[in-house]
Amino acid sequence: MKRPVLVRRDRVLPGSQAFAFVAGLVVALLFGAILLIASGHDPIEVYGRMWSSSFGSTNGLGRTFNRAVPLALAGLAVAIAGTMGLWNIGAEGQILAGALGAAWVARIGETWSSPALITAMLVAGTIAGLVWALGPALAKAGLGVNEIITTLMLNEVAVRVVRYLLNGAWKDPASLNFPVAPKLPEAARLPGLFGRAHLGVVIALVVIALVAVVVNRSAWGYELRIAGSSGPAAAYAGISLKRKILTVLLVSGAIAGLGGAIELTGNAERITEGISNGYGFAGIIVAALALMRPWAIPAVAVVFGAVQVGGSSIQTLGVPASVADILQALILAGALIAGVLMAYRVRWVSTRAQDPSGDGLEAVAGV
Amino acid sequence: MSEASIIGLFVFTIRFAVLLYLAALGEVIAERAGVLNLGVEGMMAMGAVSGFLVGLETGNPWLALIAGIIVGALTSGLHALLSVVLGADQVVSGLALTIFGLALAAFIGKDKVGTPPEGTFEPLPVPGLSEIPWVGEIFFQQPPVVYLTALAGLGAWYVLNRTRVGLGLRAAGESAATADAAGHSVVGLRVGAVMVGGAFAGASGAYLSLSLAPGWTEGMTAGRGWIAVALVIFGAWSPGRAALGALLFGATLALEPRLQTFGVDISPILLSMLPYLLTIAALLLLSIRSRNRPSPAPAAIGIPYRREER
Repeated sequence: MKRPVLVRRDRVLPGSQAFAFVAGLVVALLFGAILLIASGHDPIEVYGRMWSSSFGSTNGLGRTFNRAVPLALAGLAVAIAGTMGLWNIGAEGQILAGALGAAWVARIGETWSSPALITAMLVAGTIAGLVWALGPALAKAGLGVNEIITTLMLNEVAVRVVRYLLNGAWKDPASLNFPVAPKLPEAARLPGLFGRAHLGVVIALVVIALVAVVVNRSAWGYELRIAGSSGPAAAYAGISLKRKILTVLLVSGAIAGLGGAIELTGNAERITEGISNGYGFAGIIVAALALMRPWAIPAVAVVFGAVQVGGSSIQTLGVPASVADILQALILAGALIAGVLMAYRVRWVSTRAQDPSGDGLEAVAGV
Repeated sequence: MSEASIIGLFVFTIRFAVLLYLAALGEVIAERAGVLNLGVEGMMAMGAVSGFLVGLETGNPWLALIAGIIVGALTSGLHALLSVVLGADQVVSGLALTIFGLALAAFIGKDKVGTPPEGTFEPLPVPGLSEIPWVGEIFFQQPPVVYLTALAGLGAWYVLNRTRVGLGLRAAGESAATADAAGHSVVGLRVGAVMVGGAFAGASGAYLSLSLAPGWTEGMTAGRGWIAVALVIFGAWSPGRAALGALLFGATLALEPRLQTFGVDISPILLSMLPYLLTIAALLLLSIRSRNRPSPAPAAIGIPYRREER
């Protein structure tokens, strides 16, 4: 009897994560094609429409970039926490909080000049995202409370805060029975960049570059990475873990909040319950595919943005937009599988010769 | 406040509690084996849509429930493959499962949205007991899934705490290397626990679309899967305490549409935040208390196990 065992390769193959991502994309498209054929659609036609709507025109490219902005900022929020080994699963809620903060400024700043109003909205959104992360950050730093669950729970609370406002104080009187807020005034709308793309694309790139430099080049970022790879080592080196945990989770929430504010002023026009649109959860997949590296996030976010724009465009062919979400999850699954296959070799070892301690395994396998 | 409306509140407290408890039981089993599965919402949606479709096709609620259970288990297989077999991060893999399950359920069920359900579960009065005033109406005139859930809770407690498989499963969740050295297959136990957990989540979903709110609409799980995840923590990873938590959270869900009937001038939306806030509060309490005694959380949760990399 022989059984397969995964043995880690001595060195990581060059470019393996990029390859895993592409492999994930191929796997997802293949599975998606099977699903489409099974439900009576032509995958070539559907994928063709997705491609042309997301990359095929200037307007399409703009829409893709606009979608990529909240995805990239949510991904960045997850990634910066992930650098330290923390999980911010609450980007969804922080995006909502950021959008609410920005909308609140738009409500009180009706008479302000447009640049001042927009700047204030972005700042308010950033602060609101930070505030929404404050509880989990304090609880984690002070008491060691698991941040995965606290941030996750606050997502559901945030959705209900939005629902509460949209059914009460913030409801658009002209909307009849729909729980939506009034449209933002023109002065509160982010200027355009090209095609449909708005200035948020530039803001997101600047923030990503900034975080990439801080994480990779500053002493603060160095300490962050040390703390992420070994907490005890970091503590021994005199790094205050508690303060690091607190700041990192707050920065993470702030970045997601900024994403929510940009989504509101640049894309959404008004607060609705669905304004976060799953960006916070998709951002976790984006960050995982980028291996928590800030500079890799834009590329992944643009691909996901394109999948989402493509997903909405195929509804006219009678294909549900949920195809986009299915593809996103499958890209991750495919990339994980490809990543493991590249980081490991499969070895067949005899079940009888196995050593429960594991120490003698490589000798048995003849490495 | 009439007697009928108070009894109605209790009847629906039980029914919502069953929805939450089924999914939470599955999550308790997976987490006790050391696997956090944040895909509950997705598995529930897959169970709900497949139960609903099989109900339409066959008109038989039992076949529909079984379909939901099988599909729930198969859906969780994706998480088992990625996080247990391949050692991917459990958080990422679980969230991907939620996205995948919700989207695939929406895709599969899109042509049947709003179709009147068939083969739904009817209340099954327990002879004799259902005659008792109040108690009979609340506990013993429920759909059969309610009674089965009580048995499932007892069964899960027994298997976890009184059998060799349960011992191995808990060992895999506390110290995988120890379980391995004791001759248990950690991967086998964890894959099994995740898929049994998926089966429970699928059952919860099918119960939703066949009994609690018969029919299918996209997003009908409405965040209840997250409450189930919360319940595991609120119930300190124990089937018994999770049942008490399920009754409490079930009561808030049942109370939501009834607040105004009871003349309470609080927005039901604010009430609906309660389960999540209570869970955060419970976590804070747990961590303050566990300064002096060990945490009830399985020690190896979230850590992939590969014998070769210990």
